[in-house]
Amino acid sequence: MPKRLLNIPLVILTLFLALAGRAQAQDAQAVVQGAFDYMRDKASVCLAEMTIHRPDWQRTMTLKAWTKGQTDSIFYILSPPKDEGNGTLKKDREMWMYNPKVNRVIKLPPSMMSQAWMGSDFSNNDLSKTDSLIKDYNHSLMGTETAGGKKVYVIKSMPKPQAPVIWGMQKLKIREDHLFIYQGFFDEDLKLVKELDFLDIKMMGGKLYPTNWKMKKAGAKDSYTVVFYKELEFKPTLPDSLFTLEALKNPRR
Amino acid sequence: MSVDAKMAWRNLWRNPRRTILTVAAIAFACLLLIFMLSWQFGSYEAMINAAVKIHTGHLQVQAKGYQEKQSIRQVVPDPQAVAKILAKAPGVSHYTFRSDAFSLVSSKQRTYGVLVVGIEPEKEAQVSTLKKIISRGSYLLAGDKNGALLGHLLAKNLQVGLGDEVTVLGQGRDGSIAATVLKVKGIYRSGMDQFDRSSLQISLQNFDDTYTMMGAVHEVVAVCRSLDAVPQAKDFVAAKLTGLPPKHPLVALDWDQLMPGLLQGIKIDMISGLIFYFLLLLVVAFSILNTFLMSIFERMHEFGVLMALGTTPGRLTKLVLLESTALTMVGVAAGLVLGCAVTWYFQDQGIALTGASDILRQYGLPHRMYPQLSLLSALLGPAAVLAITFLTALYPALKIRRLSPLKALSYV
Repeated sequence: MPKRLLNIPLVILTLFLALAGRAQAQDAQAVVQGAFDYMRDKASVCLAEMTIHRPDWQRTMTLKAWTKGQTDSIFYILSPPKDEGNGTLKKDREMWMYNPKVNRVIKLPPSMMSQAWMGSDFSNNDLSKTDSLIKDYNHSLMGTETAGGKKVYVIKSMPKPQAPVIWGMQKLKIREDHLFIYQGFFDEDLKLVKELDFLDIKMMGGKLYPTNWKMKKAGAKDSYTVVFYKELEFKPTLPDSLFTLEALKNPRR
Repeated sequence: MSVDAKMAWRNLWRNPRRTILTVAAIAFACLLLIFMLSWQFGSYEAMINAAVKIHTGHLQVQAKGYQEKQSIRQVVPDPQAVAKILAKAPGVSHYTFRSDAFSLVSSKQRTYGVLVVGIEPEKEAQVSTLKKIISRGSYLLAGDKNGALLGHLLAKNLQVGLGDEVTVLGQGRDGSIAATVLKVKGIYRSGMDQFDRSSLQISLQNFDDTYTMMGAVHEVVAVCRSLDAVPQAKDFVAAKLTGLPPKHPLVALDWDQLMPGLLQGIKIDMISGLIFYFLLLLVVAFSILNTFLMSIFERMHEFGVLMALGTTPGRLTKLVLLESTALTMVGVAAGLVLGCAVTWYFQDQGIALTGASDILRQYGLPHRMYPQLSLLSALLGPAAVLAITFLTALYPALKIRRLSPLKALSYV
């Protein structure tokens, strides 16, 4: 049933937030790992705007998110006022959502993981399995390009035979200074399903970072979802108590 | 009656036992064909009606593209305008508004993805069987603030009973988060497991508030007086819909478009039925061929005498054909009368299929089935039998044409 389903927006952004040592990666595996480590961090706090754009319709939300380590993240919607206080907690592959109006926490069932979040072009799987790019795929170098005077690695990522993933292939473009600049998602027939562009690379949170993430479905005109980072800060750590169901029910700003 | 016809008729009754057996075989084939065809048509009508009554209705008006994408923003913005059209449409007996949103529904223990449907309780009861299939608790009242009806399998999966709370979390028409707490008011059994597992009904007013629909709905569902009235009603509605504001194009869809799988299933069943009928006809054809050949071989000497007396081969052929036609006619007539009588009896009484009720339930069928006698189902089988026996009789009849009197006379 291709209906829109609620789920978590910002985990994808926050998951990727990272500081990392400069990897001297040569092979594709190391390039991906290096980019991943650069995106991630021990912990981060960010404020971002998500805009869902459709030909006849547009909606913008403001979100605040905290991430820790590879898997934990929690975020809240700050605006629009109607949705304020809705929160999502993600730990490993489990997700919970909190709604202040009904004051309930709902655990997201596994069958919902491929659904889109809030009518956006990001799905739950995009959010919860981002680190599966490292664990579940074999990477190979397809070639190199240059962009903005920097070398860019073009990498083909094929899922490992037993990996629990929904994509048939992913295509990555990673700049030599460990920045993701493109991610393409392909189905089992290797047809492009959607693509994510990492734009507006700026200094933020103390390092170069793409501040504008644009996800668009292949073949859909004028339909995309943009995540725009307004604030981003990397931290050495955050307390564990922040990533609990209790914390989800009692939001702090 | 001409001499030929008289002779043919008398020839038939020279061997009454064989004639009666053949007539009985033909009659039985006709009876079987009439009954089976009526049964098939009857069960198709039951299947369609069962499916139509529980969800789709005969006819729906939706936003263009809603059927494929079912996005919450594809709405019928002004349902009253559509209602006015349906009120005037020929053959439409009742209609109602519905809205749907795929949402997370959770109890204390479990969460499932469920189709939450907003209904107008009173009008819904005229369009679908929802009110009648409530097995526990009660039906919704108009404007019910927090009551919910759910299928017994969903209730079981969520581990909730009457009066328990369930939480709904979904996305509203404006993209906002839609959330509400509902009380289980009634639990229904449609018999269709898929439906009982994955849908939850609330009042349209509650739906409108929760999902910020601002008066819009997703479907205007109509039922017609009968299946035959659907095409005309659809054409009328489709023509009138073009007169509405073009900013939100609407379409009229009939039950076939709403449930494409159903008609395909019927077609597959139809084909397997046809294969069966073909085999039945083949058996009948061979038994008749046998009878005719027998009756000719044992009368070779007689044909020889007739020819020696000056009877032309053409006249003999005509005689034999008359015999076979008379035989077939008697059989078909008897089969027609008997078949219609038997079918009509079961059409009145129904046939209880107690042993197969589980299978039937999966298709949402009642366990008492009724054949449907129509002109088509009554005449199609007998006509086929008539045609095939005539063709079969041609072979021995034409054999006589090439007969020489001498050979025939010496034939033992």
